[in-house]
Amino acid sequence: MGKHQLGEFEEVVMLTVAILTTEAYGFSIIEEMEKRMKRSVSIGALQTVLRRLEDKGYLISEMGEATKVRGGKRKRFFTVTDAGKKVLQATKEQRLSLWNAIPDFSFNNQ
Amino acid sequence: MEKAPNPNKPSKLALRFFRWFCHPDYLEDIEGDLLERFDKRAKERKSANLQFTLDVIKLFRPGIMKSILGRRRVDQYGMLKAMFTIAWRSAIRQKQFTVLNISGLMIGIATSLMIGLYVYDEVTYDAFHEKGDRIYRVNQPSIWADWDKMSSSTGPNVATALRTDAPEFEQVTRILSLGDQTLTIGSEKQSNAFKETKMYAVEENFTEVFSFKFLNGNPKTVFSNPYSMAITLKSAQRYFGEDIQSDEVMGKTVNLKDYDGSWKVYTINGVMEDVPKKSHLQFDVLVSLKSQSEMMKMHEWKWIWTAFSTYGLVKEGTDMAFLEEKLQAIPPKWAPPTTTRIFNQTFEEFTAGHLWKLELQPLGEIYISGAPSNHSFGPTGNPFYVKIFGAIGLLVLMLSAINFMNLSTARSTNRAKEVGIRKVLGSQRGSLLFQFILESVMFVIVSAILALVLVHMSLDAFNFIADKQITLLPHFSNPYFYGILFSFIILLGMLAGSYPAFYLSAFRPIESLKGKVSGGFKGKALRNGLVVFQFSISIALIICTFFVQKQLAYVTSLDVGFSKDNILQIHNVEQFGFDTEALKTRLSSNPNFTEVSKSFGIPPYVWSGDRYKSSIPESEVVQLSNFRIDEDYLDLLGVAFVSGRNFDPLRSQDKYACVLNESAVRALGWNMDDMQATTPQYVTIASGGEQQFEVLGVVEDFNFNTVKDAIAPLILINHENDNVWDYGAGLSYLSMRLNPETVKNPADLHLVIENLEEELTTIDATVPFEYSFMDQEFENTFRTEQRMGTVLNVFTFMAIFIACIGLFGLAAFSAEQRIKELGIRKVMGAKVSQIILLFSSEFTRLIIVAIIIACPVAWLLVDHWLADFANSTPIDGWVFVLAAFVTFAIAWITIGYQSFRAAIRNPVESLKNE
Repeated sequence: MGKHQLGEFEEVVMLTVAILTTEAYGFSIIEEMEKRMKRSVSIGALQTVLRRLEDKGYLISEMGEATKVRGGKRKRFFTVTDAGKKVLQATKEQRLSLWNAIPDFSFNNQ
Repeated sequence: MEKAPNPNKPSKLALRFFRWFCHPDYLEDIEGDLLERFDKRAKERKSANLQFTLDVIKLFRPGIMKSILGRRRVDQYGMLKAMFTIAWRSAIRQKQFTVLNISGLMIGIATSLMIGLYVYDEVTYDAFHEKGDRIYRVNQPSIWADWDKMSSSTGPNVATALRTDAPEFEQVTRILSLGDQTLTIGSEKQSNAFKETKMYAVEENFTEVFSFKFLNGNPKTVFSNPYSMAITLKSAQRYFGEDIQSDEVMGKTVNLKDYDGSWKVYTINGVMEDVPKKSHLQFDVLVSLKSQSEMMKMHEWKWIWTAFSTYGLVKEGTDMAFLEEKLQAIPPKWAPPTTTRIFNQTFEEFTAGHLWKLELQPLGEIYISGAPSNHSFGPTGNPFYVKIFGAIGLLVLMLSAINFMNLSTARSTNRAKEVGIRKVLGSQRGSLLFQFILESVMFVIVSAILALVLVHMSLDAFNFIADKQITLLPHFSNPYFYGILFSFIILLGMLAGSYPAFYLSAFRPIESLKGKVSGGFKGKALRNGLVVFQFSISIALIICTFFVQKQLAYVTSLDVGFSKDNILQIHNVEQFGFDTEALKTRLSSNPNFTEVSKSFGIPPYVWSGDRYKSSIPESEVVQLSNFRIDEDYLDLLGVAFVSGRNFDPLRSQDKYACVLNESAVRALGWNMDDMQATTPQYVTIASGGEQQFEVLGVVEDFNFNTVKDAIAPLILINHENDNVWDYGAGLSYLSMRLNPETVKNPADLHLVIENLEEELTTIDATVPFEYSFMDQEFENTFRTEQRMGTVLNVFTFMAIFIACIGLFGLAAFSAEQRIKELGIRKVMGAKVSQIILLFSSEFTRLIIVAIIIACPVAWLLVDHWLADFANSTPIDGWVFVLAAFVTFAIAWITIGYQSFRAAIRNPVESLKNE
């Protein structure tokens, strides 16, 4: 692969979208990330990354139905594309291969 | 501001802001997210409103914002690319316009850049002193001449008074101008004598105030002892040879001839870097003021020995207005002992109602203000020229910007279809505006680059003309220069491009596609107005240039009251001793000279003066210039006597007599009839001494100083008068009138000078041989004006050139516009000459209007400039006529080609396609 490297934040966002499956939209992604990662996320940062990932073709979005909550505004639901799944997989493998390459003693000696 | 925020509603302001900037595609879902988050926070009773605003602010980033250039963000790059392509294609398609536009802009930018560099150079003198912003020079009225004029020199103890009474000064330092000095190396009888004209005595704290760089020696102590000296590296190389290292010079000794003729040995304790050219204080040699202790002892208490320049370094944060106010109390407090002891006058009697004020002049202004004009230690600037050139620079720039606007709108018909098509295809006005402004900025960028190259290439020539050392390249390492250049390009591009942009983008697509925009001529009134403006400026400049040249020709040919040609003058004669009769007799026998005479000073540099009064009882004290000459000098000059007679060496009493000029007779309160009286009249010195001069005769007024000034009252004193001490600057000269019979050509003259040098060297080899010609010296007094005249010529030429480019472009355009009209006229039987006349008359009218505007403006400027001269050329009407004629000639030549081409064109060609 090599050409498409995921940033750390991008990776986390994609994984969260994957976790939420059909319920991944802006606010729910933030809630989920804040819950699991214990870190605060701004809408601006998240939305920028979502657009970027969509541009790269890793995510695809679709507008939902209007409801009475949230001022009647529709939600934009995101799902991970096949290309997205591939790149997530590749990232995971890279990490694992790095982990496997660590000799045991380097941690034991700490 | 806002009402108390409703905890259940998010901030309206923030929401509105978000809706304004957010990309419409994302607006709905993100706003939903924002609201959902707000609701949740509101329930949790967190500061939901603040958080909401923060979220909105964090969304304000490029990925979320609307595109600045229009709705479709993705097209931004393509759009820009297309704009560049269109700009390039239209530039290529209309080569003539492109070349005219770029060359006009280039010359405009180059001229204004050159002027900018010149002005920058002029106003940044003395910037290298570390404490420069705290250094002030103390000026006072010229107490020896016109009290209303300020002078930059003061008595020695202005400084001592400041030290006692004004603790605001951290340092006060004095510089004594030593005049011309002779300096010898090694044994004093050796022949390597050097004449030093830029030599000053300075105090120990000179180096505390000024930051001239030392190569060797300790700046703190170099002037602490008597007979110590610091010289510049250039002087060191002059004395000891080109290859000398600065440290080898240290400790060497040189001999200086003192004012009484004795030789004193000075030790070189410091070697300094050459004085930067941009310093108002130029010197080759500095000696310690302590060396002059005898003279100082004799005069230190004097307030009237105005040979010093006083500089003060104020403490940081000093209130200058308060300090200057306070200084005014100093002269009345300290000067009275001087006035009573020397003039037997009270302070009030001495000042005679004038204010003896002390003025503080900031160091940075000394050069550029050019004032007070006397006793400056080097070059002075002229604020008037800086202003004039600055104005010309701006005008030329405006001219070229106007050109651009004019040409761009004129060729609008060519672009009208393009605009129409683009509008039909959905182009918005904003992006059309952007397109045209981008084009204009591109033109300016290309022109600016060419202008930089042009300036770089012509800088040497300009430096030669203006006697400057302006450089361009060092500015490129200055970030401010880029900033200025960049903003200049953008500003000029916007300025020149905005009108065409608004004009072109306003076309209605249907009309322009139907071809109805012969209304490209709609902006005709404005375009004509701009041409008139351009030509008004050019004509005004032409008139001013003519008058500058006329004035220069006038003053150089002016009758100075005597014949100044063919007078050879030898300098440094004072160093042969006081009695030079033998030398004079020897030179008189030389057949190449018809007259030989000695004088203490030479026109146009007779600057000494004193206070005198006539023998009439209760007469007023007046200021007269004085000039010490021998009995032959007036004959040598050929000055005519109005009454009485010249000095006669055979009458011993003539030694103490005098000759006056007509102005002096009037100034002293006589009329010419009094001079005819049989009883002798007397003039008395009014500054202390009681010496009387019998008036032997009166001569016609003649210019003993530059013809810039009016002829001042003058008293001519016998050179042998040993009762008075007016020797000018102590320098004497021998003047010889060349014999036209024997000195016929430059080769003869060369031989005469060579023989003269040989003859003088055999008498005393330590006296440097120096000579001059009086007519050249008179011309030299106008060197600044001549130089500025040349610079003005160049700039005027540039302005005219730019105006012509504009006119040429417009004529070409007009010829194209009227092609069918002219064709029909020809078919109907118009002659070629009639068409040319018809075509030119349109532009001729504009130029006539321009002339009417330009003449009064030019008249005011010329009048202002000439007011500075005592002898000024009359403002003749024919010069205006000539300027008008020249302008017509230039304009007709410019449009002639176009009108001729339009007139001879075959009407079939121009009419066949419709």
